[in-house]
Amino acid sequence: MAKIANKITAAVTLAYIVFFGAATAFGNKSEVSDTENRRLAKLPKITAEKLYNGDTSKELGTYITDHFAGRSLWLSAKTALQTELSESIVNGVYVGKERLLDVEASHRAPISVNADIFSRYAENYDGTVYFAAIPASSGVYGDTLPAYIDNRSDSQQISALYDFLDSDIRKIDAYNILKMLKDNYIYYRNDTKWTSYGAYCVYKTVVKKLGFQPISYDKYAIEHVTDEFRGNLYNKTLSKKTEADIIDIYEYPEGAEVLTCVCTRADGSKFEGSLYDRSRLASSDMYSMYLGESVPFMRIYTSANTDKKLLVIKDSYADCFIPFLVQHYSEIAVVSPEDMEGSISDHININDYGQTLFLFGVENLGDRKTLEKIIERK
Amino acid sequence: MVYSSLLFIYGFLPVSILLFYITPKKLRELTLLFLSIIFCGMISLYFLIFMLAFTALNYGFSHLISRLRKNEKAAAIPLTVGIIIDLASLIIFRTDYFTRLHDFMRAPEGFFPVGISFFSLAAVGTLIDIYKGRIKAEKNIVRFSLYFMFFPRLIMGPLLRYGVFRRILDNRRETPANIGIGMTLFVKGLAKKVIVADDLYILYTAVQSQNVKEISAVTAWLGIIGFVLCLYFNLSGFADMGMGVAYCFGYRMPQSFNYPLVSTKIKYFAARWQSQVIQWLRRYVTKPLYGVCRHRWIKELVFVFGWTLFGIWYTFSANGALWGLLIGTAVVIESRITKRKIMDITGIIYTAFVIIICFVFIAGSSPAYSGRYLLAMLCGNGVIADSQAFYLLKSYIVLLLAAIYAASDLFRNLMTRSGKKKVKTVITAVSTLVVLAALIICTALLSYSGSSEMLIMKL
Repeated sequence: MAKIANKITAAVTLAYIVFFGAATAFGNKSEVSDTENRRLAKLPKITAEKLYNGDTSKELGTYITDHFAGRSLWLSAKTALQTELSESIVNGVYVGKERLLDVEASHRAPISVNADIFSRYAENYDGTVYFAAIPASSGVYGDTLPAYIDNRSDSQQISALYDFLDSDIRKIDAYNILKMLKDNYIYYRNDTKWTSYGAYCVYKTVVKKLGFQPISYDKYAIEHVTDEFRGNLYNKTLSKKTEADIIDIYEYPEGAEVLTCVCTRADGSKFEGSLYDRSRLASSDMYSMYLGESVPFMRIYTSANTDKKLLVIKDSYADCFIPFLVQHYSEIAVVSPEDMEGSISDHININDYGQTLFLFGVENLGDRKTLEKIIERK
Repeated sequence: MVYSSLLFIYGFLPVSILLFYITPKKLRELTLLFLSIIFCGMISLYFLIFMLAFTALNYGFSHLISRLRKNEKAAAIPLTVGIIIDLASLIIFRTDYFTRLHDFMRAPEGFFPVGISFFSLAAVGTLIDIYKGRIKAEKNIVRFSLYFMFFPRLIMGPLLRYGVFRRILDNRRETPANIGIGMTLFVKGLAKKVIVADDLYILYTAVQSQNVKEISAVTAWLGIIGFVLCLYFNLSGFADMGMGVAYCFGYRMPQSFNYPLVSTKIKYFAARWQSQVIQWLRRYVTKPLYGVCRHRWIKELVFVFGWTLFGIWYTFSANGALWGLLIGTAVVIESRITKRKIMDITGIIYTAFVIIICFVFIAGSSPAYSGRYLLAMLCGNGVIADSQAFYLLKSYIVLLLAAIYAASDLFRNLMTRSGKKKVKTVITAVSTLVVLAALIICTALLSYSGSSEMLIMKL
């Protein structure tokens, strides 16, 4: 009896393993994963050095993992299992009742060490520099996390950075504005980033500092372009426990219009862009609806009755923020160091612009190599 | 590559079983050596070169010793040199003091020879056995290489004498039923590692990341219970996986852990925890010393010394030594005090309590930290339980209870002692499904990162 059972076990388990092994080895390999919104690993190239230190098999392991048959299903299953087994923390994301939160944020290196980059930028710049560091959702909603995870880190990180910044740089305390409004829909439930409404609340303060009166909320026509958005935290967990998010477009019908948007790709080619690219809503990366394809440079010309020009140096947090600014400037240049090659002065003369606004999420302020592109090379 | 990775389970394992069974019976040991070489090479080419050099060196020394054996003094020279080289390689790669030497040897960054704690001791034992004439030097280079490199033994042993290993090789019985037993064992080990140990590790690190001067008593207890269970499931999980894979090839290796955590006496715990290493220490270190000792208390001192060595072998730090010292002492004290047989349940509780206290020392980073932690467990911070303790308790209680049940031998007893044949029939009938379900669950848990390499101790 036991012998037969063992034989059956052998046959069943081996058949199962061989099936999935073969399906993984011979199945179709796609380059990108839609559900995870990222590029998948490529088959490693074998070199003597990688064999020597064992990187080849590590890369092979990653390759097998990325292309494992039915990966998305396995990931969803993992999230469901993990939350039952122990705490609700899966792949570095806290799966809460209301929202997903990034818990790996507390392990980040201090960002204040990068303060000198911005101070050096200000030294070479004739105009005024404004700085807004935006907390991630885990910074604002950290109190819903288990107590042992250090959730105050975002506010501490920002205030430490502001302390080290040159005193000529005007700092915007986005953290406390957002913290006060945390009962509103200012952050996506499935993403680390803020919503358009969160951006609007900070915009009111920013634009006053820049020297304008903010447009009042009731003048906007707000359109919900989708209610099925699931962002970067969903991509890590594939958890559908939380509600999907809404993406909004704020139109100001009486205001200035965008005349043209000239986008420049990293290879130098130019094309006509727009503030909103609705075709992106059909893709796996819905958030890129704001400003469309990510490019290193974008120049927005508007019909606003002014000759003021603004330079915005930013990361993806600013994508939903920039549409609010177009009412106040005739030209806005948007620079994204992440997508840029070389340093900023190779492409643009920063002193053509009277004001510079730095707008970054805390999570992207630790990347020194990227940020260093905004200063002159010596 | 570790056993608990998708690459191993869905790639290396089926391919190696296939290759093994399509080769003619006579050449199967050669196939295993070939597979082991691939396995080592996949950890890194440097590791493979290291292993081949280590094997060749010991092969040379073992034959030199057996040639010179007629003259005991002459044979002692290669014996001493061989032992020194083997132990030196253990110390050089297990401790952090020799990074310059690593650079000199052109080792890749962060290089760690997997399983060195096992195969270096195995090499020392073999050289001694040959010197003493207990075994003859192995002429078959395939078998001798397998002794060190056999991949199911590489990560977590068991540490075997060469004679025992040769007997296991001789008694190979490859049958379909054995593959079934092997797969069951493998999945059992995988589940121990991926389901239990990895989750309890999060509990342990959550507690450890707190300030030890502030945590409540309940949190401290949860943390250390999590650590003890995590360590046990981690080590025994890898041991089970290795045993299971060996079983698939028809080899029956002895088990290292025989349900040690639920014992009625500390003595039994000490005999069941990684028993092959304990036996090695007894055979080559403490037993020769016992022969010289007359008094009981000196023998007891030697016993404690053996356990201290065992603790050092685990961590190469003062903490490990303290852990071994405490357990050794506890066994000695117990044997002096309790003569009568104690009640089962009382014995289990008191043993678990003592073991947990001892493990505080191997869990900490320094003896001072461990002392402070012990104080926290005794409510030294003035808080019995806080909201965090309740949160952790709520999150982990099911897993902890399941782990404690799995760490006891209750289930095995149900299988072996149950008079009712019906129970046995039912369990046998559903076993295939349970194994398959466990394998699927483990795969899901592995799916995000592809492997679970968390080793609470690098051995």
